[in-house]
Amino acid sequence: MIVHTINKVSALGLCDNLVAEDDKIILLEDGVYLGLQSLPFSVFAIRCDVDARGLRGLLAAQTEVIDYDDFVHLCTEADKVCSWF
Amino acid sequence: MNFAMVVHGAPYSSEACLSALKFARAVLESGHSINRVFFYHDGVHTANSLIAPPQDEAPISEQWQEFGIGNNIELIACIASCLRRGVMDETEANRYEKSGSNLASGFTISGLGQLIDASISADRVVTFGV
Amino acid sequence: MSSILFVFSRPPHGSINAQEGLDALLMGSAFTTCSVLFVGDGLMQLVSGQSTDDLGTKNFSLSFGALKDYGVTGIACSEPDLVARGLNKDDFLIEVETLNAAGMQAFIRNHDKVLNF
Repeated sequence: MIVHTINKVSALGLCDNLVAEDDKIILLEDGVYLGLQSLPFSVFAIRCDVDARGLRGLLAAQTEVIDYDDFVHLCTEADKVCSWF
Repeated sequence: MNFAMVVHGAPYSSEACLSALKFARAVLESGHSINRVFFYHDGVHTANSLIAPPQDEAPISEQWQEFGIGNNIELIACIASCLRRGVMDETEANRYEKSGSNLASGFTISGLGQLIDASISADRVVTFGV
Repeated sequence: MSSILFVFSRPPHGSINAQEGLDALLMGSAFTTCSVLFVGDGLMQLVSGQSTDDLGTKNFSLSFGALKDYGVTGIACSEPDLVARGLNKDDFLIEVETLNAAGMQAFIRNHDKVLNF
């Protein structure tokens, strides 16, 4: 399993065909706007970035809101981390 | 587990610098370690001691200094990136005959080899890009 | 020793990101096994015939020719991104392997670390 971080909406286009079925996507910074839509991946979004942008009630049901300690934990579970920006 | 971190974003210009700090704190709070934080690209602006934000804004650069010094974490600013952007310690300022040095305490200027070495030896590498 | 995959996704010249990424790759190849994957507008770094004389910046694209000498043998690009830009491999400065989605996923899996630029 690979963790892919995405920090802006346009960066999804760089990695959408690189994400394998069991990979996980973490949205941070402006990347959290991607959490508004339903994506064909396992998607997490960083809480402080979601809250700062007023998106808490607007996220797609599949987008799981997490904190930085969860982010760290997902990295430890992954084989490697790939960052898209 | 041991983490290497790479920061490409300058404070205020990009959120990456702040995100990286939050991640770094969470790594230590979760009982893991950080072998090195490597500041590259515009990330080296974090090491500029002349940054003086308004009082009601977070002093991100100072927070990085406190984090590095307080936890004995190596904060390396890439020398090539630094020289291009005017971040210098006294040695480099003298070498290039500049009017002053501005490297913040807690940071060290060093080469790209430090990025590669940290990436190889860490269990995980996490980049905060722009 | 950990192998490192460098992923280049930025076009050249508009910012220094691409050049600083290549610097890191060349340094990395002195330490360990390194490969490179070009995705998105990062593919534009490879286009031959770049001339920066009038722009007044360094034409770092010439350094790509030295990758093999540095021992960087895994050089690949995204096939979908190549097609999307109307390019083909003949447009490039160096020989590059094209990978489809599954190929790129395997390429990433086969390296220990990934550094994105």
